Amino acid sequence: MKYIFSFLFVLALVLPARAADPEKAVVQIFTFSQEADWDEPWKFGPLRRSSGTGFVIKGRRIMTNAHVVSWARQLMVKRYQDPRPYLARVVFVGHDCDLALLEVEDSQFYNGVEPLDFGPLPKVRSTVVTYGYPAGGEQISYTRGVVSRIELQTYAHIGNRSLLGVQTDAAINPGNSGGPVIQDDKVIGVAFQGMPGLENAGFFIPPPVIQHFLDDIQDGKYDGFPSAGIRTAPLQNAAFRRKLKLPDDDRGVRVDSITPGTPAAQVLRPDDVVLQVGQYPVGSDGSIVYEGNRMSMAMAVQEAQHGHKIPYRIWRGGKEQTLAVPVEVSATDKVLGNQYDLPPRYFIYGGLVFTPLSLDYLKTFGRSWSDTAGAELTYELFYRRHESPTTLRSEPIVLSTVLADEVNASFRVRGRAMVDKINGVRIERLEDVIRAFETPSNGQHVVEFLPKNTFECLERTAADKAHQEILKTYGIQRDRRL
Amino acid sequence: MRLFFLTLCLLISAPLLRAAPASDWENSLVYLEVTRKTYEVLQPWTPKARTVQKNGLIIGPREILTTAEELSDRTLIRVQKGGRGKWWNAEVVWLDYHANLAILTASDATLWAGLKPATFVTGKPPKDGLQVVRWRNGNLETRKAEFNQFIVEDARLSFIQHLQLEASTEMQGVGWAEPLVAGGKVAGIASGQGGNNARFLPASFIEPILTARKAGKYPGLGYFPFTWTPVENPSTFKFLKLPGDPRGALVVDVPKTPAPEPNLKPRDLILSVDGFDVDNQGYYKDPDYGQLIVENLGSRRKFAGEVVKMKIWRDGAQTNLDYKLPKLDYSVKLLAEQTFDQAPEYLIAGGLVFQPLNIPMLRGFGEDWKRRAPFRLVHFAGEAPTAERTALVALTSVLPDPYVLGYQDARLLVVDTINGQKISRVTDVQIALQQPQDGFHTVEFMRGDNLRRIVLDAGQMDAATKRILERYRIPAASHIAAK
Repeated sequence: MKYIFSFLFVLALVLPARAADPEKAVVQIFTFSQEADWDEPWKFGPLRRSSGTGFVIKGRRIMTNAHVVSWARQLMVKRYQDPRPYLARVVFVGHDCDLALLEVEDSQFYNGVEPLDFGPLPKVRSTVVTYGYPAGGEQISYTRGVVSRIELQTYAHIGNRSLLGVQTDAAINPGNSGGPVIQDDKVIGVAFQGMPGLENAGFFIPPPVIQHFLDDIQDGKYDGFPSAGIRTAPLQNAAFRRKLKLPDDDRGVRVDSITPGTPAAQVLRPDDVVLQVGQYPVGSDGSIVYEGNRMSMAMAVQEAQHGHKIPYRIWRGGKEQTLAVPVEVSATDKVLGNQYDLPPRYFIYGGLVFTPLSLDYLKTFGRSWSDTAGAELTYELFYRRHESPTTLRSEPIVLSTVLADEVNASFRVRGRAMVDKINGVRIERLEDVIRAFETPSNGQHVVEFLPKNTFECLERTAADKAHQEILKTYGIQRDRRL
Repeated sequence: MRLFFLTLCLLISAPLLRAAPASDWENSLVYLEVTRKTYEVLQPWTPKARTVQKNGLIIGPREILTTAEELSDRTLIRVQKGGRGKWWNAEVVWLDYHANLAILTASDATLWAGLKPATFVTGKPPKDGLQVVRWRNGNLETRKAEFNQFIVEDARLSFIQHLQLEASTEMQGVGWAEPLVAGGKVAGIASGQGGNNARFLPASFIEPILTARKAGKYPGLGYFPFTWTPVENPSTFKFLKLPGDPRGALVVDVPKTPAPEPNLKPRDLILSVDGFDVDNQGYYKDPDYGQLIVENLGSRRKFAGEVVKMKIWRDGAQTNLDYKLPKLDYSVKLLAEQTFDQAPEYLIAGGLVFQPLNIPMLRGFGEDWKRRAPFRLVHFAGEAPTAERTALVALTSVLPDPYVLGYQDARLLVVDTINGQKISRVTDVQIALQQPQDGFHTVEFMRGDNLRRIVLDAGQMDAATKRILERYRIPAASHIAAK
């Protein structure tokens, strides 16, 4: 018994030394941030202070979560047991994958710090250790747990993307965000989120996602994770398989619809059956086996970079064929998710504030925005693109608010209304608003709203005259951000 | 002791006597018990019984007036007089859901012995001395009501906006046709309550309908189907080239149906209706009720088919328009507003459950169905029917069976076509399923962020339907209302 104890003790002494003290590469990040105001888009919210974790990687960079550094006005990092703060800046950020790379200008920062290396995707049931600076204390904290499962998870930071994620029962708490998850001295994940209602469940971003991010920025800019541009439906009904002359062998998922405007629309058709994506055979439920884990075939698409082509083995017209399907990062996904760092576009004229419709704008209606935002705005943002792509506006515009002034005091529409036309010009994007107000009119500007054809008129001469005074009254430096 | 008891009774009765002898209301007000069928929205083959208690007002020989609410799909109506004792069976002789009014009768002559018709207030409605009367636990309960306002709002069972009287009362649970009385006459009957404020159908709204009905000349209520907005913006009047003071209600939306001829157009300004000037808030001054919104002039002593004379401002000039009031039809909208007196339609085909998408179905999601029902389904409620699609059918659920394996999670999807045929009604589903293509049925759903298409083996459908009906103990594969 004594022997065993002695052996364990020796192991405890030896292991940290062999692990090259990963904590020395782990830093605490202090963020001072200011979020944009999406309802009054010329404004910013109050200055917030928050903290997270990061770790030094090769190339004198610090990796952390995008949500740790979003809207940052100033970033400070502190090394392990070093009281000195260093100023840092964001070099690359990927909001869809919740990763960011920072840089510290002061080269002293890197003295004595051994950058951490990345390892492979861990196996389920294997043990991992998190390093970070969670709430509840000042010092670095370690938690140990096992890999519970590996599959696509919704990334809460962006809100509308699901990428590969790993669930662990190691405690991941606020402040842990951006910290490394270590196995065999290598980083096998970046801690990033928990899930309300789930006990002992934390999530980390695994190496395939991290590597995709690092590969993406090789050309000096970050594009993001591409989407397939298709919606698939399980192909498990014998009749449907028979109609498609497909063997009843549990292979292949059916393309149910194709997102209009995506590159997939040029190559794939509804009722094509996807048998294989890249190297991954696809099951009848639309799943693939990735590193021993069954998950959505979206994973196979996410391995590719923006603009690349993926070989699809498909079943069409009773026979197999291979197609090269281009994949792209969807531009429209952006407004459907949470946006960061770029404040909203806007244009102000005569006290009328126009800004693009986005999820962030709808969230200004409060926590239950889906109930209070009004059916028209919700439909326009989320449904029209699927149901009526030919009537879709590239950037739907809302009158977000009316800055009260004599010139607009009698307006009944006081904001939060979807703009249809101005002076007869259909508003497809913010630049159309500017162009429409510049269009000659008979004394009055006419602004039409959806859905019930309500409209308001504005005296052109009076509005022109009042414009600068309104900006001054409300402390607005510029009438537009384009 | 006897003397004290007598005094007490008199004291308590004193306020009642000022309005009318209690005995008068005892003999004019009856207690009603209505049993009706209701249906589980997503299992429409399962009826349930629901019983409610209401009040009825004797208004003539063998005639009881009550509200139409809860009279649809009735299976039994019973009447009790004096608040206790024997029950008599009754039946509906006339009913108008749009106006929320109904007249009942009973064939047993003994019911009518001792009952006395109430009379309605005529002329200007009283604002003082109002009381609400009802039967409660075998006794006549009378409570004071304070007049609040006349208001024009959606009817209880339809989207017709008409005159209603709002009064506050401490009596709770009002809304079951309790009469509002004053000076021994009926000033209205209750249709609902929110907090202490109860809503009443005023006598002046009820009485012309009953008179017309008696004369066999009641065509139903008319209404204004268009949407207007108040205008406060002087610049808008300038744009419309209206000289003089701001006035008129601005029409912004005119539905395609109903389409009376001549009709209004968007950007018409309604300046007056039947001689009443309309201000820029859309109000007119009613000689009996004060300021009311213009909608009231669609039901003020006028019925469907009658003409209201409008003065409108159109394209920079004043013109007259004889507007023929359309009759409300619940199915004028893409999603029918009500489906009274018909069991819900459905069709089960191989485990797929098809149902009309209508407002009663959405109400199955609860009181706040507009929040709880799927957004896309609720959004259809604001859309207009087209010539191509007058109504919608939804695949509401799939009853799991090997035949529909792979589709078991499909639910609440609006059907576009079946076997290439456009679907507006459940009968369309029935017809389309008789025309499979190459031995398959193909069901296509409306475009959206949802499943678009499923395919089934046409040859196996009947056997699958039979098996599923047995397994789930469903009495019939369909219920489709006769045309």
